[in-house]
Amino acid sequence: MKVEPIVYGDRKVYTVAAFNRGVAEWLQRLPTLWVEGEVTDLRRQAGWQTVFFMLKDPENGACLSAAMPRGQFDALRLDLANGERIHVYGRPELWPQKGELRLRALSIERFGIGEHLAALERLKARLAAEGLFAESRKRPLPRLPRRIGLVTGNDAAAKRDVLTAIQSRFPPARVVVAETLVQGQRAAAAMVEALAAICAEPEVDVVVLARGGGGFEDLLPFSDERLVRAVAGCPVPVVTAVGHEQDMPLCDLAADRRASTPTAAGRLVVPDLEELLAGLGRARVALARGTRRTLDRHSQRLAHTHERLRRAPVLLVERRRAALAQKAGRLRALSPRATLDRGYAIVRRDGALVRTSGAVAPGDAISVEVADGAFGARVE
Amino acid sequence: MTYEEAEKELTQIVEQLERGDAGLDEALKLWERGEELYRFCAAHLEAAEGRIEELSKRVDSARPDG
Repeated sequence: MKVEPIVYGDRKVYTVAAFNRGVAEWLQRLPTLWVEGEVTDLRRQAGWQTVFFMLKDPENGACLSAAMPRGQFDALRLDLANGERIHVYGRPELWPQKGELRLRALSIERFGIGEHLAALERLKARLAAEGLFAESRKRPLPRLPRRIGLVTGNDAAAKRDVLTAIQSRFPPARVVVAETLVQGQRAAAAMVEALAAICAEPEVDVVVLARGGGGFEDLLPFSDERLVRAVAGCPVPVVTAVGHEQDMPLCDLAADRRASTPTAAGRLVVPDLEELLAGLGRARVALARGTRRTLDRHSQRLAHTHERLRRAPVLLVERRRAALAQKAGRLRALSPRATLDRGYAIVRRDGALVRTSGAVAPGDAISVEVADGAFGARVE
Repeated sequence: MTYEEAEKELTQIVEQLERGDAGLDEALKLWERGEELYRFCAAHLEAAEGRIEELSKRVDSARPDG
């Protein structure tokens, strides 16, 4: 059927039906392709010839209507449920009656483990590139948290293990527990909400996110981007203990600490009370000993100073005496007596020094001074 | 003051006293302060009472679609 406009003078106008038909025809030129999304709003009713559902983009919530003939849908035996991730092979079409775009599904495949793994790797690479898993983002755990938040499923084991570990190691611990969904399509959103609620509690200084072991798909919510971001953005440090040692959900990479088991997580978040008390006792002993040592040192220093003070006058006299002896030595070296000691003599006439032979005449009385005394003599 | 702050200060005081280089008055003041911190920490541990509270009930009931 051709799409013919109605002509009003120089304006061409299309009826709604004609417009829809035109767009629908144009859409048929688009190729058949695979689309990935989560099933929501699945409607399969006995009286209807077609099964309808929405495909939702888990990243940003974008939606696309899809439809498949019921016989074909049932033949696939997928037993699909809302929230499941699928690949749909189909082509876009316009539903003329409503003017709505939808995907005409030719085939549907459930998102398998292979696809999940590939998607996880992509998400991991993207978040890693963003720096969400960087070591520099990891915060130290508080030594003695005022309150501990515990986000866990209602499976008794993980919760009991964390609480037992905390209470046996540090009996005075205060724990606030948020039980939430940890499995299934709504788990990630529920855990994000529980995490926020726990952090809104006063005095919560650290949060433990724990879940016991489970199959690969059971642990998928712990790799959900929303939860990973919530863990990384948590205002207080987060310790994760999810699944078994070999499981490594992405929330473990974003956590500040990862524990291998719920018990290990419990032990990480509290100190050992016995050790703490013993350490305090040791600190007190060291405090007294250190003070004693400081006092002893001061008293020794005082005694030493006192000794120096006592000896100061004696030292002064000795120093003066030594200085005097030195001066006497120098004096002696300069005096004529030293010359006399070497065998010279001083000759005087009438008390005056005789310096020349002409100064005396034969018969004059002179005195001669030598090293050890003097004697009189007469000139010849 | 938190327990951690008190514990850290106590450790610093012990280290300072163990070096023995504090002045006399200072040493006595440090010792008094250390004792005070010790008593604070010990009291903190003794006074704390273990408690487990359940938040989940409240969270769930607050959820219209929970």
